[in-house]
Amino acid sequence: MSILEIKDLRAGIAGREILRGVNLTIAPGEVHAIMGPNGSGKSTLAQVLAGRDTYAVTGGEVRLNGRDLLDLSPEERACEGLFLAFQYPVEIPGVSTSYFLKAALNAVRKYHGEPELDAMDFLKLMKQKMKLLDMDASFLSRAVNEGFSGGEKKRNEILQMAVLDPKLAILDETDSGLDIDALRIVAGGVNSLRGSDRGILVVTHYQRLLNYIVPDYVHVLRDGQIIKSGDKNLALELEARGYGWLEEPTAVH
Amino acid sequence: MTRLMSNASYLQNLLATGPNSSTLGPDWLQVRREEARQQWLRAGLPANTDEQWRFTDLSFLAETSFSTGCSAAARAAEARPTGLDGAELVLINGKFNAQASRLPPAPVRVAFLAQASGAELATFEKLLGAQARPAHHGMIALNTANMSDVVLVEVPGGVAVERPLSLIVHSVGTEPFATYPRILLKVGDNSSMTVVLNFTGPDDLTYLTNSVLETYVGAGSRVELVKIQREGTAALHIGSDYAHLAKDVRFQSLSLNQGGLLVRNNVTVTLAGPGCEATLNGLSMTAGRQHVDNHTMLDHAREHCESHELYKSLLAGRSSGTFTGKILVRPGSQKTDAKQTSKAVLLSGQASMNSQPQLEIYADDVKCTHGSTNGPLDEEQLFYLRARGLAYNQARAMLTGAFAADVLARVWQPEVRGTLEDLVVVELHRLEREEF
Ligand SMILES: Nc1ncnc2c1ncn2[C@@H]1O[C@H](COP(=O)(O)OP(=O)(O)OP(=O)(O)O)[C@@H](O)[C@H]1O
Ligand SMILES: [Mg+2]
Repeated sequence: MSILEIKDLRAGIAGREILRGVNLTIAPGEVHAIMGPNGSGKSTLAQVLAGRDTYAVTGGEVRLNGRDLLDLSPEERACEGLFLAFQYPVEIPGVSTSYFLKAALNAVRKYHGEPELDAMDFLKLMKQKMKLLDMDASFLSRAVNEGFSGGEKKRNEILQMAVLDPKLAILDETDSGLDIDALRIVAGGVNSLRGSDRGILVVTHYQRLLNYIVPDYVHVLRDGQIIKSGDKNLALELEARGYGWLEEPTAVH
Repeated sequence: MTRLMSNASYLQNLLATGPNSSTLGPDWLQVRREEARQQWLRAGLPANTDEQWRFTDLSFLAETSFSTGCSAAARAAEARPTGLDGAELVLINGKFNAQASRLPPAPVRVAFLAQASGAELATFEKLLGAQARPAHHGMIALNTANMSDVVLVEVPGGVAVERPLSLIVHSVGTEPFATYPRILLKVGDNSSMTVVLNFTGPDDLTYLTNSVLETYVGAGSRVELVKIQREGTAALHIGSDYAHLAKDVRFQSLSLNQGGLLVRNNVTVTLAGPGCEATLNGLSMTAGRQHVDNHTMLDHAREHCESHELYKSLLAGRSSGTFTGKILVRPGSQKTDAKQTSKAVLLSGQASMNSQPQLEIYADDVKCTHGSTNGPLDEEQLFYLRARGLAYNQARAMLTGAFAADVLARVWQPEVRGTLEDLVVVELHRLEREEF
């Protein structure tokens, strides 16, 4: 069974269709990359998968581990193992990172009938994960993303991913705004999640990230449709030639 | 029981809800009461055609027949204290209840006008009404005419009072009634203290709490006033709190509004000497058809003073709120720094909030800033939290809790801060329940 199966997904906003029939299947253990020009619908796809109701789904279906995803609330999707690293992580003044992460982790644990982690065990887990990402413990007491630099916000997304240990991780341009060292660390965090029962979907503009997180498949999204798929060499080709050479999509049947 | 009143008779009706004590007490008191009575009969209720009252309509007060509340002593057990340790003065319908109270240890003194004599009586004569003048508005006049007693809390100079002092102001009655608590707080030079005022009363009954507090803070002192307004569900609460700051004073107030149906808080602070810093905070949490009107006036009478205001509101159901921040910078009050912020979260589409600054500036070297933001909870924040597994309600509670937290964090006295945090958590659940 696939981790993620998207069939002819259509979604949009205020009568405008942004995703115009997306098809994508991720098998356990696979890493897929989505590339594509600005405004082609990459973030929309990521947000629709996470359950953002700003976008109306007008057709198609999505399965996560065989389960119908589109019927679930965002929190149910998260508890079922879907994780979205936001392109623009949101600042939440007044809520400390540790309070937020503990509540999130315990919500997921509760959903699976596991006991909640107490403060001690939680702290131990955090220390371990933060070390992995080379993050300072002082982030824990700071408000979620508030005053974080661009790179710190992205690292915080990966920290959350590491703590929540998802089945499917969707990373929306997690590499943009990162310096070289941070890129390596973040990629290390993602690679440590790579495993036989998980899937990873990375949205990126740059081949550079794919040197660190080597994808099994690369897809090009344009105008709300996947117009080309290939292996990691497709990313190299896109880097060299841009998107212009790709043909117009053929109609989806 | 409620019945309609004619216009003239409501004035008399409300006057008659005070104790029949017009002929008691020293001459100066009788004179002041009589002046207040005349003023009330002339002015009556503040009308919402008055610019300062335009968001709060008191006309239903004129349409309700009020009586005096129940006999005080019998009902002291109903008062809902704050749970804070330390001294607690229980006022039932404005009258001190000794049995239910715990007096503060020396050198803090508590006195009552009805029993005062000598120097103590002279203090009452000097302070009572020196700030809260009947001419300010009808509710001050009515309180002055009808107050049943006056409580004076006095802290001598050079004393740091560690433990908070609580005033439990409770209203009791079985049919529509009115009460007139009246409190004086006098803090000498270079002292510090935190005073908590807790207002409660019966649910589902129309009653009026018309309370007046006058605070006098001596030079170099640090005083914090926390008002917890938890009146009954159908109550009308009008509180007029005045503070006079001598020089180099640090003064802070917090008004936590949870109860009442129609609530008006007048806070008037006079920065009477140089080097004062006044911080006024508010947190209102309303649902149903509640209305809370916070009306502040900062009188910058001298140079080198600072004032900060942060008023926050969480509004559910069809509730509404108003914040008016009046700042008067008098001629010569150079280097005044006044900052005013009002923020509201509208938890339902029917809730509403109105904020307006009123700046009157007669000095040139001053800094006055104001800002207000009203709106629903941030959808992006909500989605972010939910995308991490938090249920919708939990995510909302996290955001509303965070919204309230920074006001509470400003409270100086740690136990009081803890008590307020507990009260707010309970209240957040009430709003969650009522909001749809
Ligand atoms: N909330 C929204 N309201 C209006 N238009 C939207 C909204 N979200 C997306 N769009 C539009 O849909 C299209 C796709 O946007 P999307 O953010 O998915 O692009 P993207 O592929 O992620 O681009 P980028 O590479 O710049 O991040 C764009 O034209 C965008 O303007
Ligand atoms: Mg994008």
